[in-house]
Amino acid sequence: MEISKTLSTTNAIKSGRLTASANLEAKIARVEKYDSAVKAFIETYFDDARAAAKQVDAKIAAGKPIGKLAGLVVAVKNVLAVKDKRLTCASKMLENYVAPYDAAVIEKLRAEDAVIIGSLNCDEFACGSDNTKSAFFATVNPVSFFDEKGEITNTSTSDKYVPGGSSGASAAAVAAGFCDLALATDTGGSIRCPAAFCGVTGFKPTYGTVSRYGMGDMAMSFEQIGPMAPDAYGCALLLSVISGKDYRDSTTAKTIAVSEPTASFATSTKKIRIGVPKEYFEGANPAVAKAVKDAIGRFAAKGGCELVDISIPAVKFGIPAYYLLVYSEFASAMQKYDGLKYGAKPESNDELVPTVSKVRTANIGKECKRRIMLGTYITTKEHKDAWYTKALKARAYVRAQFDDALEKCDFIVGPTMPNLAWKIGEKATDPLQSYLEDVLTVPANLCGLPAGSVPCAKIGKLPVGLQVIGKRGADYETMSLMAQIESSLGC
Amino acid sequence: MDESELTVIIGLEIHVQLATKSKLFCSCGTEYQTAEGPNENVCPTCTAQPGTKPFDMNAYAFEQALKIALALGCDKINNSVTMQRKHYFYPDSPSNYQRTSTPIAEGGSLAGVSITEVHIEEDPGRYDLKTGIVDYNRAGVPLLEIVTDPVITSPDHARKFLEELRAVLDYLGAARDVESGSMRADANLSIKGHNRVEVKNINSFHGVFSALTYETSRQKNMVKNGLEPVRETRHFDEDRDITLGLRKKESVDDYRYIPDPDVQPIAITKEQLKIISDSLPELPRKKMERFKKQYGASDDESFALCMELAMADAFERIARKVDAKLAAGFMRGTLKKQLNFRSYDYAKVTAKEQFITELLVMLSQKKVTDKVAERILIDMMDGKTGASTAEQYAQSAGLLGVQSSDELSAIIENAVEQNPKAVEDFKAGNGKALQFIAGSVMRLSRGKADPAAVQEILKKRLSK
Repeated sequence: MEISKTLSTTNAIKSGRLTASANLEAKIARVEKYDSAVKAFIETYFDDARAAAKQVDAKIAAGKPIGKLAGLVVAVKNVLAVKDKRLTCASKMLENYVAPYDAAVIEKLRAEDAVIIGSLNCDEFACGSDNTKSAFFATVNPVSFFDEKGEITNTSTSDKYVPGGSSGASAAAVAAGFCDLALATDTGGSIRCPAAFCGVTGFKPTYGTVSRYGMGDMAMSFEQIGPMAPDAYGCALLLSVISGKDYRDSTTAKTIAVSEPTASFATSTKKIRIGVPKEYFEGANPAVAKAVKDAIGRFAAKGGCELVDISIPAVKFGIPAYYLLVYSEFASAMQKYDGLKYGAKPESNDELVPTVSKVRTANIGKECKRRIMLGTYITTKEHKDAWYTKALKARAYVRAQFDDALEKCDFIVGPTMPNLAWKIGEKATDPLQSYLEDVLTVPANLCGLPAGSVPCAKIGKLPVGLQVIGKRGADYETMSLMAQIESSLGC
Repeated sequence: MDESELTVIIGLEIHVQLATKSKLFCSCGTEYQTAEGPNENVCPTCTAQPGTKPFDMNAYAFEQALKIALALGCDKINNSVTMQRKHYFYPDSPSNYQRTSTPIAEGGSLAGVSITEVHIEEDPGRYDLKTGIVDYNRAGVPLLEIVTDPVITSPDHARKFLEELRAVLDYLGAARDVESGSMRADANLSIKGHNRVEVKNINSFHGVFSALTYETSRQKNMVKNGLEPVRETRHFDEDRDITLGLRKKESVDDYRYIPDPDVQPIAITKEQLKIISDSLPELPRKKMERFKKQYGASDDESFALCMELAMADAFERIARKVDAKLAAGFMRGTLKKQLNFRSYDYAKVTAKEQFITELLVMLSQKKVTDKVAERILIDMMDGKTGASTAEQYAQSAGLLGVQSSDELSAIIENAVEQNPKAVEDFKAGNGKALQFIAGSVMRLSRGKADPAAVQEILKKRLSK
């Protein structure tokens, strides 16, 4: 059995069995065939990608040294700046905004000879859990179209599931075979949720591991750029490229780049203790809870680890603390979209206030507006103590309990999402219901911990994700455990 | 009510640009004044393009801020400083929030004015209301804000404080040239027991004095006439030297401060403070005391000499070659008068120290009079002396020497003959007429006469 699809592809390209151009053309063919149904891409960069692939092939032919990602096709969530391309953040406000610079992660992709195929859809400014809040269109979970073998066959089905969010299209693009790897961002689960829903592997690094320079803001103290791939090895390879200190994002100041995965990446080297918190299973869909418990049991049965039942009561403060702080930071970040600098101007030549009001009304979506207004409200002098300051305390409380739990064990595992992917349109009306889906993913963001999701089962055609949370800075070890779980489960 | 009974209370918020090569949170330079046009000195970060974050903070800027805080004698230095976001909507800010830190230091005082706190912040860009042009060349330049307690008692007191503050900044080399628009101030002023008024947009040290003088008399007049000054923010119009009402302060501004999630808290260690504190130069106040003791300089002399480091240093070198008291008197009087007249710093006058030394040597040897010395100094400042030494110049211009009493008597005779009317006036009891004739004598002698001798001989001559 191949230990990693990504590794097979890089090996094939490096050895000359597969050219970067042929690898790219195969992906382009799938995009052209299926993206009208999946709707993952906001923009494709086929011409640039073909030129990049040709350069890689030329380097290989000339025997020149090549980068770690040589010839791998990477798609990028459109909250990351790619120079001279539109950086829309899936919002009308930035529909025609062209980035004047490359994000730090894009510079690194280029330096390691990756082939960037295009930009991917997401919820507007990454605010959402199902990718239906893009200002442009909703991306469809490719599993909606899968046959039993996981191949896209029936694109005319009316049962269209959400891919999760906010990085729904990043997971969808990997699941649909539009790319080898994808870059996504995770503020409260935006990588892990879609990974779980689409049946791929995704990883949110320790806060401060990857430079956010060039990443559109949602809630700055929570978010990280992270990899999505068919497997943990792919995630680890991509993270080894994009991680590291960058003076242009001061929160990376103390960061050391994550090591490249070695040959022993997917094998355990020492006995580990894995904590299983009861709170992660209590509110979950029983079928999901059972599937994840079974998977954990099967992995543990192979030896090498000890399971410990633990309790983290502070999990219940996760959602309120997370959303209140996200609103506050988001409202601050969105101040720059003041209706003057960005967004199409109205035809009429109004006074300042009506112009600002018109531009903002027309160009910002409902969920973003909700967050801006709530965030503005709770940071006013009058309400700050009752809401913002309290939420900061709750965050510290959650953080302390997770740090405690991670004293007792090396990793925490549980379901990634309490439920399976829902159908497009199902949760459109009630934002609270949607927020509650994040209950198991937000703690890692509140605490800055590394966390990933691996597929561990299927219920019907819908994948179930198993979440692994590690100690702060133990990104490599966490992904290694994810790889071990993948290989033991064989899914 | 008697105006003299009205007490003025003034508090200042002073912004100075720190002397750094680059902006606070990006690598753009700080020489925005020399940019070719609007938005030439910018990058994605200081224009807050979507996706940009603040770079690692300019550590040098922070060090300069600490230096200033220590020099102001701030006794409470906070061990952790947080960058905050101050939210407001105005075109001069690319993100509509300004990064401003929590207090770095508190306490301290200067010229009898206690310091509330100092903190660091980002300079906004500039928005020209007339043309509508927004220019971010300046956006992100590191600023230090110094907030004083409301303890300043008059515009003069404020001026004294600012003069000394400017000297401290000059000694430290920690701030950019304070007269070139890199210093700005807001003032809070009230008549004791009455409403407080905030004056904004004061863009120079001199402007502070003018604005406060105007505002003091405006408010005193109101109170004298039984009117209550309105609680408001006023705008200082530098061209007209007046303040204008901007808006009524009905509610307090709400900037929705939050800690900036993109910037890690800044730690200040004891070791760091010790290093900075050990590297502080002798500060103006201390130097003044030393000048009084060491050189016998008067209060006024030591103050004038020590308000600019280049001048204080020059004085010390000159005082090694000529009599210190003569040098102190000349530099504080004649030289300072000519500098002020030209709005020059001492540092701005080129090739002066050697020349001034020579001039003082001639003075002490009575080769020239005070009057001639001033004449030569003016010529030097006007660039007329070229490469000559002071003595060469005096010689070539025929200014050398003090008139003997014989020569002087001849000139006096001459002057008396030329001014019969003044002589008559003097004899009729008009004392001023004597000065008129004396002036004529000085002119005829081209300044080479000793003024005291002129007075003496002239009086004798006229009372004949």
